Amino acid sequence: MTSRPIEWINRWINERWPLSAVLRLAIDEEIPGGSRFVYTDGSAVFLLFTLQAITGILQVLFYVPTVDHAYDSLNYLRTEVPFGWLIHGMHFWGANLMIVVLALHMTRAFIWGAYKKPRELVWLAGVLLLLVTMGFSFTGSPLTWDQHGYWAGEVGTSIAGTIPVVGDMQKRLLRGGEGMGQLTLSRFFALHTMVLPLLLVSAFGLHIIAFKVRGTVGPWDALKRRLSGPFWPDQVYKDVLTGSAIFILLIFLSVFVPPVFWGPVDILDTNYVPKPDWNFLFLYQVLKYFQGPLEPVGTVGVPTVIVLLFVTLPFTDRNPEKNPFRRPLVMLCGFIFAVTITALTLLGYYSRGLAELPAGSPAVSSLLGPDDAGAAKTPSVSQPSDQSAPAQKTGGMPSATVETNSRTMPGEGAHVIGNAERGGAVFGNYCAGCHGAKGAGGMQNPGSDEGKVPQLNPVEREIYNKDPKAFAENLDRFIQHGLVPPGKKPLLSMPAFGDTHGLTQQQIANVEAYIMSLNGIDRGQIVNPGMEPRNFFILVASVYILMLFIQGGIRIKSGIP
Amino acid sequence: MEHDSQIPEMGHVEATRRRFLKWLIAVLAAVNALIAGIPFLRSLLGPSVAAQKNEWSKVAAVDLLPQDSPVDMRFMAESGEAYLHNTVLRSVWVIKHSPEKISVFSPVCTHLGCYYQWNGQADRFECPCHASVFAPDGKVISGPAPRPLDTLESKIENGYLLVKWENFKAGVPTKIPVA
Ligand code: FES
Repeated sequence: MTSRPIEWINRWINERWPLSAVLRLAIDEEIPGGSRFVYTDGSAVFLLFTLQAITGILQVLFYVPTVDHAYDSLNYLRTEVPFGWLIHGMHFWGANLMIVVLALHMTRAFIWGAYKKPRELVWLAGVLLLLVTMGFSFTGSPLTWDQHGYWAGEVGTSIAGTIPVVGDMQKRLLRGGEGMGQLTLSRFFALHTMVLPLLLVSAFGLHIIAFKVRGTVGPWDALKRRLSGPFWPDQVYKDVLTGSAIFILLIFLSVFVPPVFWGPVDILDTNYVPKPDWNFLFLYQVLKYFQGPLEPVGTVGVPTVIVLLFVTLPFTDRNPEKNPFRRPLVMLCGFIFAVTITALTLLGYYSRGLAELPAGSPAVSSLLGPDDAGAAKTPSVSQPSDQSAPAQKTGGMPSATVETNSRTMPGEGAHVIGNAERGGAVFGNYCAGCHGAKGAGGMQNPGSDEGKVPQLNPVEREIYNKDPKAFAENLDRFIQHGLVPPGKKPLLSMPAFGDTHGLTQQQIANVEAYIMSLNGIDRGQIVNPGMEPRNFFILVASVYILMLFIQGGIRIKSGIP
Repeated sequence: MEHDSQIPEMGHVEATRRRFLKWLIAVLAAVNALIAGIPFLRSLLGPSVAAQKNEWSKVAAVDLLPQDSPVDMRFMAESGEAYLHNTVLRSVWVIKHSPEKISVFSPVCTHLGCYYQWNGQADRFECPCHASVFAPDGKVISGPAPRPLDTLESKIENGYLLVKWENFKAGVPTKIPVA
């Protein structure tokens, strides 16, 4: 037994498990031409994958994959769990950044000719990783089960359904039934958190082992290739620097550009124009050019061709030359491909959806219940509703919740984080008539004690509350159950939008978010941040700057170049 | 490995036996995979339940419906999806032609299942998703919708309009009820 315990442990392990050999395989590498910052893109992808795994696991501890809890449980994490905002923000931005960095990584492999013999398998495993990542993105979005994610999933699975012959089965497989529902959410959850991670790890193993066999391509210039530098620690140091930059970028984005609260899923809200996530926009745009009987060309043909192009690249381009300046044709093709995808993405982004509808404003009359239908032409002048709201009169159906029967309790809408922008549209259609545009001034209400419809901007003192949840509840009571203002014979009264189903609970949540935003309160405000996001960012930035100085000082003092 | 190196010296019978064993391993593995795989895959395709038979829902008082103009009527109805049994808000489009004759349309676009809306100015239904346009009688005017709007079964009882909710398969030219 030796006196140095570390050596002893090392030997003990190596006699039983090839630790040193594995480590050597991992870090022993001479990089032709030496370490460079451009080579850090691969480890950046790796870092992002790792971060997604960590933030993903943390989210699963709070998130509930059911249709009635998904959105709310995620929002609980985002607003009420200390640093929940950071966890979700990093996962969201990490997912987006991953696609960008992966695209860069593949572009570099393309330009450097890293897909050429004998590195075909490295490239193929890389293509597999790209597909898995797109799968993550596709299955991740609907997990939020908000307006955006739900429709992204609905559109995406519908696209799968247009594939000839197997499409129908494919759609059923993805959705777990005909329509989008709980089974769909369960499947997306299982794919996103179990199936795809396993695939990813396998593809990553393939990729990295194949890469280790042949190593980096290095510079195409033979002169530069003469020298070489070690992977450890030279390249790893650069990798860590890039990784740190990505890390701080993710935190920056999470703090200053948090993901949007899209509002709960509401299939009855026909004003929402579904669009897929940005990384699928090119496909979405392509679909517009192939309609009717040609539809499968866009939905299956184009994606298949793209994947085939990627997969066959190492076998179609067999020219061993790596210098991009000596293979102009391939470079040109790659360039055209990149420009096409970018252009389609931008077109998709700026298009107003596939419909050419005017900024939709459904006739208010058409949405009110039968009791109000008579007054439909002037919906804002609805008569004080009697106790029998249509819901109760028209069928004796059990109401959604006990609360909606009670005339004083807030309803479901109060507890859901709505989207203020969508609420604004609803407000314009249903509320502005009496409460004034942007709730700024109520119209006259003869016969009521106050003589005016209350203005909502600013809202009455008793209703206002700094706590977004309490504020929403205060507003909710009126929107759910309506109100006949005190007075002899008020001309106008507040309709019971919730009780009559004139508005869905989701719309009510959105309207509440809007009214609150008029009063300077953010419905999605972080109640329990752990640390104020801004302060957190300042702290993180200071730590990095401090470290920069410290290492600079050490370098100068000890004369390290 | 050690065993393979003996192959040149081993007898013909032994070689056949090994070849047979390899073949058997492959077949057994394949059979096992199929025995488990087919039922497992079947589970993913879901139960092939017949379209759910729904109850009549009271939707509106006939007197109060406007004449000849489509109204989006909302009502609470039981919905069962897999193991979830909820009361959900449903919406249907109702057009009263006369007190006896009322058409009821499912609010779901026949193309890919978005909810369409009524454009009062142009007197037509429009779908926000892929711009299918339908006439007030449900016929397709333009867009990718493969069939007219789906009508729902309805009846009038004691002055109330009753409707039976149903889902139909999206994207196909015929109206097929689905679960
Ligand atoms: S879903 Fe209505 S047009 Fe496509």
